[in-house]
Amino acid sequence: MTELAISPPLAKPDTVRQRSPLYFAWRRFTANKGAVGAGIVLLIIVLMAIFAPVITTTGPNEQAFLTNSLNFPSAAHWFGVDDLGRDFFTRIVYGARVSLGIGFTAAIVSLLIGLPLGALAGYMGGKFDWVVMRIIELFSVVPPLLAALLLATVTHGGVWAIVLIASIFGWKDVCLLVRAQVKSFREKEFIMAAQALGASPWHIVWRHLIPNSVSPIIVGFVLAIPLAMMLEASLSFLGIGVQPPTPSWGQMINVGMNFMFYYWHMAVFPTAALAITILAASLLGDGLRDAFDPTLKGR
Amino acid sequence: MTGFIVRRVLSMLVTFIVVSIVIFLMMHSIPGGPFDGYEMPLPDNIKAKLMATLGLDKPLWEQYLRYMWGVVRLDFGVPYQSPGETVMGLIAHAWLPSLTLGGLGILIGAPLGILLGMAAALRRNSWVDYLASAVATLGLTIPVFIISTGLILVFAVWLHWTPASGWGEPKRWILPIMAYAAVPLATYARYARSTMLDVLNKPFVSVLRAKGLSERKIIFQHVLRNAAIPMVTIFPAMFVGIATGSIFVEAMFRVPGLGAYFVSSIDKRDYPLEMALMLLISAMYSLSYLVADILYAVLNPRIRVGGGGR
Amino acid sequence: MTTPALELRQITKRFADFVAVDRVDLVVPKNSVVALVGESGSGKTTTGLLALRLLGATAGQVLLNGEDITSLSQKQLKPYRRQMQVVFQDSYASLDPMMTLGEIIAEPLGIHGMGGRGERQDQARNWLEKVGLDGSYANRYPHELSGGQRQRVSVARALILGAQVLVADEPTSALDVSVKAQIVNLLQSLQTNMGLSMLFISHDLSVVRSLADEVVVMLRGRVVERAPTDRIFANAQHPYTKALLDAVPTINPKARRRRTFLSREEIALRTPRFRPEELDAPPLIDTADPQLVALAGSHFVEAIVAERAIP
Repeated sequence: MTELAISPPLAKPDTVRQRSPLYFAWRRFTANKGAVGAGIVLLIIVLMAIFAPVITTTGPNEQAFLTNSLNFPSAAHWFGVDDLGRDFFTRIVYGARVSLGIGFTAAIVSLLIGLPLGALAGYMGGKFDWVVMRIIELFSVVPPLLAALLLATVTHGGVWAIVLIASIFGWKDVCLLVRAQVKSFREKEFIMAAQALGASPWHIVWRHLIPNSVSPIIVGFVLAIPLAMMLEASLSFLGIGVQPPTPSWGQMINVGMNFMFYYWHMAVFPTAALAITILAASLLGDGLRDAFDPTLKGR
Repeated sequence: MTGFIVRRVLSMLVTFIVVSIVIFLMMHSIPGGPFDGYEMPLPDNIKAKLMATLGLDKPLWEQYLRYMWGVVRLDFGVPYQSPGETVMGLIAHAWLPSLTLGGLGILIGAPLGILLGMAAALRRNSWVDYLASAVATLGLTIPVFIISTGLILVFAVWLHWTPASGWGEPKRWILPIMAYAAVPLATYARYARSTMLDVLNKPFVSVLRAKGLSERKIIFQHVLRNAAIPMVTIFPAMFVGIATGSIFVEAMFRVPGLGAYFVSSIDKRDYPLEMALMLLISAMYSLSYLVADILYAVLNPRIRVGGGGR
Repeated sequence: MTTPALELRQITKRFADFVAVDRVDLVVPKNSVVALVGESGSGKTTTGLLALRLLGATAGQVLLNGEDITSLSQKQLKPYRRQMQVVFQDSYASLDPMMTLGEIIAEPLGIHGMGGRGERQDQARNWLEKVGLDGSYANRYPHELSGGQRQRVSVARALILGAQVLVADEPTSALDVSVKAQIVNLLQSLQTNMGLSMLFISHDLSVVRSLADEVVVMLRGRVVERAPTDRIFANAQHPYTKALLDAVPTINPKARRRRTFLSREEIALRTPRFRPEELDAPPLIDTADPQLVALAGSHFVEAIVAERAIP
């Protein structure tokens, strides 16, 4: 028999560069110009929201321009003035704070609920999984908007109520994504090897399953944001979301509808703001999903 | 197969009951009753009598059971806001506008979407493909009330081509139908494109080409059949979602449909109508999922024939 | 007789109405390699999992270095895990794609709380070299390696805790022929140097020949023949074993060998225990079924075949 053949060292072992699987996902993502563009747009909007006081001159609720009410966009007022004499640009920017803030927070809460449930359901299977799936089924059958409407009325609207409601309808997508990922990994040999090593279930979930679930976590989070924003906008549009005078794009669209036929700026700007933000977030989410799992259909 | 259906129906029933309890509790936890509106403040004793006639003074669980007993016999009671008819009657005539507009919306949007998606798949990376992807993304991400606003602005206000709202003559239907058609069009464009691409890349298509079969025959006789399955299975749920009317579309175009009534029923604490609408729509969704699963099992020959043969 | 490293007594595994492993007896003496062979579906992998206590047995016992670990909970098993480890067939799925090789190999030490971070890293590098890979590989990820290299990593991970018993489940089956030899050599050298006891599961008899001291043949959940390696290759008694041996391709196309091609029906005819109509039915647990009978010395074969055997 031949001697033990030691495999030669790889061409040039560079101890510096680590090409983890995430690196390749990043490369795929940056190759997708649309998604990168969307990400940049979203980033700009987020920054605008954060630095709102810096880029605006007055507060969002200051009715400082009553004599100029309903003015069209001009050099002094980039987006015009609304019906109560407030600078519309300021309102829109502060509205970004509210709408985006709700979107992000709801997405985080959805993640906090959906991730552990999905991971445990996927790993443990059996009764626990069955129960979780039944609960998800419950949430799938009830039309989300109608139920949200009911809930919002019960709680009288308001920012935190909306965050809660949006999370209630957002967690199931994250949960399903994580569960599917965990299930696909559960039978893999490296999990069995870890069990053979004597690792506790907690160790396996924490050190093996969750790091390998980075993809559904990130994708689920990013895609939950536009869903939450849409729900908030819908509820605010109907009057039971964010209450005036706090600016919210949905609410502003509702008001703008009344003035739409002549004072077009009242409707166009909040509509455009909402549409662009949701579009950017959705494209970003889709791009991320494609980057993490290039085997998905359609490409 | 029958076992499968039976189990699903049973689980649907359980879900239904749980949902009904939850909704019932939520409804009744909204403070205020049907007679607390400010338009006609009623003296307390009259209010109490009215509540008693409607059985609203009984304990909640009793109200729930009485209500569900009625539901079983398809008696949903009488709507508070329109006591001259039954809830069922009101829903029946309120549903007509929603069903017409929504139904037409999906019946027009879906085939268009499929055609668009097919064209995109067949002409990959051309302007058609680009257009289809753009349309699909826009249709799915932009909320429907924004689409409606946009439609009104463009077609009614700026171009003056169509009336902006109302329900009556068919020409008032154009914009709402377009608004309804957006989501099915976008969804099917996306699905059609991706499933067709999937199938076109499969080895058996290459074999068919090698055999000399014309491209048209390949598409219509083989590819479509394979691509159809996922598209058929998403139809039931989508239909339910759209044919029950959208609150926004109805609000914006002033259509007196289910959506509009739903909002007013919450506003006016019209419990019977509210419950009935929620229950009916949930039941329809549940049913649509079941239909989709059955359709899938029937259409997918792997499941249909696979069974016990070896 | 000294305590065997690993022993399975009458081990049985039943899934609903299907018996995957039917009263199997297996002994792996210290410092030796026992090969468990059979075709797919024979139950050999399941047996391996039962030995590792990654599956719970329906009946029977698992003894590790003489101690009965059959009914211990996973928590109680933890200390025993240090004595017995595993290498799987699928080298890619065996390694966590998100961990570096160094982390993968050092993980067992972390799980058992052995050594500080620095020591663990050093040990990991050490082992990388012991299995024939350059120490600098510690920062690499599994996807950067070839199948054979990944298997080496799996071996390192398995042995770092100082395990004396190794269950190798088809470790070479997914590898190219030339790489197979490398891994077999590696295992052989490690076994000799460290005195490992190995349960080597495979369907590849050519690999088994160079590595194993004893061969155990399984068919549909039961052991049908057991003998030292040279005896099996020289004088296999069971028709199934003969068919397995004859199926191994040789490099010389000119060698006209009389090969035994056994169709399923022929197996049925020559193996009286199976009637043709039973071929598709799952085997039943029949307590009256005779056990293996000694033919000569340490060569065991199913009793019915033994009657007609030529020693």
